[in-house]
Amino acid sequence: MHDAPESENTSSSDDSRRSFVGKACGVAMTGAMVASYGTLIAYAGRYLYPAKPTPKAWMFVALADDMKEGDSLAFKTPGGARVAIARQGSVGDVSDFIALSSTCPHLGCQVHWEGQNNRFFCPCHNGAFDPQGIATSGPPADAGQSLPRYPLKIEKGLLFIEVETVTLAQTDAPSVDASSNDSAGGVV
Amino acid sequence: MSRIRQWFAERVPVSGVQIAELTNEPVPNHLKRWWFCLGGTPAYLFVVQIITGILLAFYYEPSPQTAYESVRYITEEASYGWFIRGIHKWAATLMVAAVILHQIRVFFTGAYRKPREINWMIGCCLLLCTLVVGFTGYSLVYEQLSYWGATVGANISDTVPFVGGFMKKMMLAGDVYNERTLSRFFILHAAVLPTIMILLLVVHISLIRLQGISEFRFEDEPKDKPAHFNFFPDHLLTELLIGLSLMVLLCVLATVFPVTMGPRADPLTTPEVIKPEWFFYVTFRWLKLFSGTIAVLSMGFIVFVMFIWPFIDGLIRRYFPRSEASVWIGLAGAAAIIALTVWEAMVEH
Repeated sequence: MHDAPESENTSSSDDSRRSFVGKACGVAMTGAMVASYGTLIAYAGRYLYPAKPTPKAWMFVALADDMKEGDSLAFKTPGGARVAIARQGSVGDVSDFIALSSTCPHLGCQVHWEGQNNRFFCPCHNGAFDPQGIATSGPPADAGQSLPRYPLKIEKGLLFIEVETVTLAQTDAPSVDASSNDSAGGVV
Repeated sequence: MSRIRQWFAERVPVSGVQIAELTNEPVPNHLKRWWFCLGGTPAYLFVVQIITGILLAFYYEPSPQTAYESVRYITEEASYGWFIRGIHKWAATLMVAAVILHQIRVFFTGAYRKPREINWMIGCCLLLCTLVVGFTGYSLVYEQLSYWGATVGANISDTVPFVGGFMKKMMLAGDVYNERTLSRFFILHAAVLPTIMILLLVVHISLIRLQGISEFRFEDEPKDKPAHFNFFPDHLLTELLIGLSLMVLLCVLATVFPVTMGPRADPLTTPEVIKPEWFFYVTFRWLKLFSGTIAVLSMGFIVFVMFIWPFIDGLIRRYFPRSEASVWIGLAGAAAIIALTVWEAMVEH
């Protein structure tokens, strides 16, 4: 007679223990699934995200002193991109120089020089830029964008430019088409 | 014969009667009008795209060195390659047109209203998927249009605040278009997006079957005419007829206006005149009218409004029950889309 309540107690204690263990297993299982599948998704995301930025290198352009104020030259990168480099000052440091990219800052198309209109023109969305690369009409002008500039530096009197070294285009070796000097470019 | 039938019946325990019961729901009479067939049309064209796409994938090689040459081989050397590619291209064009027309029909007949709001949103996702499949599709040819279209597309995503840079890198597999970009477009075009579209289509069609087709009664119909007809065989035969007509149309288009090869992609020279496919004319013109971030954010806002339109319409009708605002807004939207498309088509720049 005394056994019955004890058995009931035991049974209810068993039930609550079983229920607790069941819930704990459920939580552990959910946690394990979230952790494992989450890790898989995170790995997949990292796998799809590019591992390295586009490789760049500093390349020799010209002797800085060989370019006088007002001189300009056309530089071709290993990727074939055209860069207009000009000297606009006579302070004697890198701030005298600018290197204009031919890539439109709006959506990445290539601009071309229109001699008759004295401007760079982007055929994709009608962006126009003055010879200094400042947008004069089209979406880039609305957004106050200019043609991007390549980083330049002067070391021991030598002018260098930082450019991408990889391309999809079939191109020749990098070169300088100078209006002021005959220096040739080369990888540093 | 009966033994074979019995062998199958034991292993596949579904009878013809059961299949008929599952599929044979009454179809509202208004579906006999041709403009209500625009939902089935893109579904049929989607199947055509899968079949012709698989055939094209036998020869296509997704790398910058080989893509253009492999498409040229398909077009100019493989037997009937020009025909298969022509069908694929024209079916894509018709599919985009049919999806847009289907959405316009659903909008102006108010078929997105309660309880069909979720199905409208799924339809919007299908429209976006169709446009992205179209975009990735013409990127694969590696013509000038392909390359510069992809470059512009990636830079559009770059202008989205906060996540734009991440989206661009994920899209191009790098900072700029590179060796690994084309294979990414290919897998999106041929595997990821079709799988998403199949899943969305299953839900879309299931919801149509579960909710039933919204019913209309036209004024010119006699009152004693039955309100419904049978799915099987009546509606099925109509769909088969539409499929056959589409196939004839596709064959004619692929033969009379065969696909061609444009100039190979040149990453150093953007062509003097550049245009995307016609279904992106609206976006292209919009991008010319407004600066980058404003254009992208405003387009995103318009798409978002379209996405949640059933709820906006619900609010309008709650506060202005007799209002026909949705019709006028729809007309204004359609007129703007047509005007921007025609404008872009008419001018060189």
